[in-house]
Amino acid sequence: MQPFTYVRPDTLEQALHEAAEPGASVLAGGTTMVDLMRGDLAAPRRVVDIGHLPGLSEIDLSGPVLRFGALARMADAAEDAALKRDYPALAESLQLAASQQLRNAATLGGNLLQRTRCPYFRNGVSACNKRVPGSGCSALDGEDREMALFGISDACVANYPGDWGTALAAFDTAVEIRSAAASRTVPLANFHVAYGDDPARETVLEQGEIVTAITVRATPAGRGSTYAKVRDRQSYAYALVSAAVALEMDGDTVASARVSLGGVASKPWRSAEAEAVLTGATLTEAAGLRAGEAAFAGARPGRHNAFKVELGRRVVARAALTASRRA
Amino acid sequence: MDGGIGLPVTRRDAPGKVSGDAQYAADFPHAGCAYAALTTSSIARGRIVRIDTAQAERAAGVQMVLTHRSLNEGLGEETFAMKGGHMQSSFLPLTSDEVHYAGQIVSLVIADTQEQAEAASRLIAIDYDAQPASASMDDGDRVEKPLESKSIDVGNANAALAISPVTIDATYVTPAQHHNPIELYATSAEWREGRLLVHVPSQWVMGTRMGLATIFGIPAEDVHVECPYVGGGFGGKATILPHTVLIAMAARRLGRAVKLVVPREAMFTVGSFRPATRSRVRLAAERDGTITAVSHEQAGQSATIDHVSFAVTEVTARMYASPNIRVRESTVATDVNTPGFQRAPAEAPGFFGFECAVDELAVALGMDPVALRTKNEPARDPVGNLAWSSRKLTECFARGAELFGWSRRTPEPGSMVAEDGALIGYGCATACYPSASGPSAARIRYSADGVCIVSLSAHDLGTGAYTVMGQIAAEVLGVPNHLVRVQLGDSTLPSGIIAGGSVTTSSSGSAVHVTALAVRDALLRAAGGGELVDGFVVSPDGSRRPATEVLAECTSGFIEETGVWKPDSISDKQMQNGLAGGMAFSSALGKYATYSFGAQFAEVRVDPLLRTVRVHRMVGVFDCGRIINPRTARSNLAGGMIWGASFALLEETQIDRKRARFANTDLAGYHFSTNADIGEVVVEMLDGSDTLANPIGTKGVGEIGIVGMPAAIANAVYHATGVRVRKTPIQVEDLLV
Ligand SMILES: Cc1cc2nc3c(=O)[nH]c(=O)nc-3n(C[C@H](O)[C@H](O)[C@H](O)COP(=O)(O)OP(=O)(O)OC[C@H]3O[C@@H](n4cnc5c(N)ncnc54)[C@H](O)[C@@H]3O)c2cc1C
Repeated sequence: MQPFTYVRPDTLEQALHEAAEPGASVLAGGTTMVDLMRGDLAAPRRVVDIGHLPGLSEIDLSGPVLRFGALARMADAAEDAALKRDYPALAESLQLAASQQLRNAATLGGNLLQRTRCPYFRNGVSACNKRVPGSGCSALDGEDREMALFGISDACVANYPGDWGTALAAFDTAVEIRSAAASRTVPLANFHVAYGDDPARETVLEQGEIVTAITVRATPAGRGSTYAKVRDRQSYAYALVSAAVALEMDGDTVASARVSLGGVASKPWRSAEAEAVLTGATLTEAAGLRAGEAAFAGARPGRHNAFKVELGRRVVARAALTASRRA
Repeated sequence: MDGGIGLPVTRRDAPGKVSGDAQYAADFPHAGCAYAALTTSSIARGRIVRIDTAQAERAAGVQMVLTHRSLNEGLGEETFAMKGGHMQSSFLPLTSDEVHYAGQIVSLVIADTQEQAEAASRLIAIDYDAQPASASMDDGDRVEKPLESKSIDVGNANAALAISPVTIDATYVTPAQHHNPIELYATSAEWREGRLLVHVPSQWVMGTRMGLATIFGIPAEDVHVECPYVGGGFGGKATILPHTVLIAMAARRLGRAVKLVVPREAMFTVGSFRPATRSRVRLAAERDGTITAVSHEQAGQSATIDHVSFAVTEVTARMYASPNIRVRESTVATDVNTPGFQRAPAEAPGFFGFECAVDELAVALGMDPVALRTKNEPARDPVGNLAWSSRKLTECFARGAELFGWSRRTPEPGSMVAEDGALIGYGCATACYPSASGPSAARIRYSADGVCIVSLSAHDLGTGAYTVMGQIAAEVLGVPNHLVRVQLGDSTLPSGIIAGGSVTTSSSGSAVHVTALAVRDALLRAAGGGELVDGFVVSPDGSRRPATEVLAECTSGFIEETGVWKPDSISDKQMQNGLAGGMAFSSALGKYATYSFGAQFAEVRVDPLLRTVRVHRMVGVFDCGRIINPRTARSNLAGGMIWGASFALLEETQIDRKRARFANTDLAGYHFSTNADIGEVVVEMLDGSDTLANPIGTKGVGEIGIVGMPAAIANAVYHATGVRVRKTPIQVEDLLV
């Protein structure tokens, strides 16, 4: 870890000012940031602690647009009764993430911004284009069981690990961003950047920008939603494959479908292919499996992760069946 | 009497651990301490051609940078534990420019603060000349080396296999695994007037003392190793890790205390690990289930720098009655840090394959797996024809089957379905662990205030030794529990035994027992005869007075004795070596064959669509001789079973074969069970003292819990799904068929 200056501004304005300094990084809950710094994967010269800033941790589900303050804690959203009732996929994605201690400390904004768990990125020594651009990708011919199947390139096959971001991708989600000079709103679909030619770049966030809120357009499909996550153990593990499915039903027939996938792509991954198969279908396990098949038709498996195609097909089916029972 | 043998006395160390008062190795303060940070090699084999430390040496707070160019010291006469020394490896990093494995220590920076040391270590520039390397025993260029001395042949197994009507021939693999204790490796060293004080998490303070004394050429009495608590050892803290030597060297050169806490990632390469194994098991039987041949060939991963073998087949050869037995051992050297002991080092991986094969035989015979095992129960050790000191495996299976509800099992795979549609699988396996012991000393002081202090340099790794040692003394002396004090984990105390091989209670417990008898005898002599009953001296004339009254009459106000115990098969010379900190163990095969046994059962639930496995419940019934404390024994056994579930479904140190290095080197990537992964755990211990084993009648409890569980779970997975997975961990992709 490299020495750094720690600042704890009192207002968002001060924080934006501090964050604009070259070499500054913001720290919210710190559960990712401290890890990255300890592993020399982030080496900020200035750490701007925003975790306590006022006015950025509200969760407001009352209007036509749901608002999640960027500093709301994962646990607060995961345990929000209205969210559990009206958008179970969103609440479940948080309940199934990390551990209770981490959820108590970690923020919704930080969660969206967490970095890949790819061991070659994390270990600090292997060739990794994300860590050292141009050094190569060790995962291509290494252990790639956990790597992504979508949104990858020969430069990087790492996975976006976040559950919350994956579930948000099934909805009309946007990210509100402030800088000292301006503010802007970016649709979630455009917020993360697939790890293509420039694996070091993961989001459109620029130096000095702070995420202030995440918004979701309200939809009745929220009630008919679920987040299904398969992982190696029952708790405290990232997804091998996950799927958020939100449905509106007309009897046994799917009137509208939203599907997103986790654990399989370099960014939160919306699957229009699966949505197309589900929409208008009579929902049976077979229909769910067909949707899952469509979702993974374009997958690019590596050497040890081809099982995610078969597993993913089934996870989509399971999520669709669960969602349909709620819709 | 509330503190004697057989009572569920609560752990003496618990309040200190819960309140935070308990000091672990890294918690001890050292005045003026400097801090160390490691740099480890990024290549797996080759040479360091350039190492530039100039910038690091100029960095703020830096006191010293050690590399192979500046160390110029070695291990002297000291060596690898498996060659009779105390070191985790015979190789000491920084003694040459050679790199033998990825993650090898290549420099050590010492600075005034931890942060300065870490920051400076980033400034060291190293160029390597990398050579091709192999960290996996499956790599094409690896050579299997047979260990002829480990072969056992009884009858002619190959001939029996050729003619028997029912046979099994299958190969099973288990991966490299790491201990991953929550307490990180850590060493603080300080020299005071030529004497060395070391705080290090240790399962062997006497061995550490002896080893460090040899290395530094000073009398053993001048080395003090203190470690009252260990936050998980599991074998990883049994030997001296090389960095402990380096830290002590640095402290001597600086004339200042130095502390190193090893980061989690480096834990994978600066210590030892459980090596990978490959087992080929062949079994033959008559149609009625009579086993006619047992053949087990195991290959284990070893290191190029040290030869390591954990021969399980000398145990599996003795599990079932068979006229024909053939076992073979071999090793495969790989470019890794030296592997070492990890809970049931030989048995946990070896029984996975062996006990899965027994299940496969039961399926081939159309026979119940419990019935097959019981039918082939050997009356005597089938290899050496020794009598068992005690063996109640059949009773374990009978009681286990009853507790588990085994009779509800329908044999057809996939035939049992839960209400929610989950596939139910029942599986079982035998567990066994050799019950060895070694010499130990103990000191007991019994004072007029009623307090009884038991002191010895044995270790409590969270296993219960603090509690159990006191109970053994209390049993003899009739002291109430609240007046018992126990001191462990300090090399200035009378010599306890290494906490390894499940020997602590049998060995050090026996020493406490004979010492307590000596205190009792001295007390009765002081009282002028009589008997000690519940803390009272009862004279031949029937009059009673409290023992404390007699103690008050002693000039010193107490009676103190130091006693020694050794197993019969250990010579006096071996005993002296053992008490000084050398390795001295009796074999499980002496006049009798002495093993702990267990029958283990698992119920798994498999999601029919997603094919994920959950361990719904586990049952284990054990024959471990006399149980000194059912609470701590149960915790050990249950903990072992939980580890066994991790072994079956989760634990694997992945190897990046291309770069010959461990890949998942943090706790997010290296999985073991969380609470949510473990359903019900039922443990029962059969009554019974094995006084042929030692005077207190105990056999080992510490490791056997893990041994049968991986196979029991794999067999349950087969029963649920019809899919036979011959590797661990069993993962979702293995069942997506
Ligand atoms: C052991 C472990 C297991 C985990 N398991 C899971 C899991 O199963 N599923 C899952 O989804 N997650 C998991 N996580 C990740 C965890 O959810 C994230 O670490 C957490 O959500 C990050 O939030 P934080 O507030 O602590 O972020 P920080 O660590 O403070 O910040 C994370 C990153 O975001 C930036 N940042 C934070 N807030 C803002 C903001 N408002 N504006 C701009 N930039 C910002 C920081 O600069 C930093 O780069 C796990 C983490 C750990 C350590």
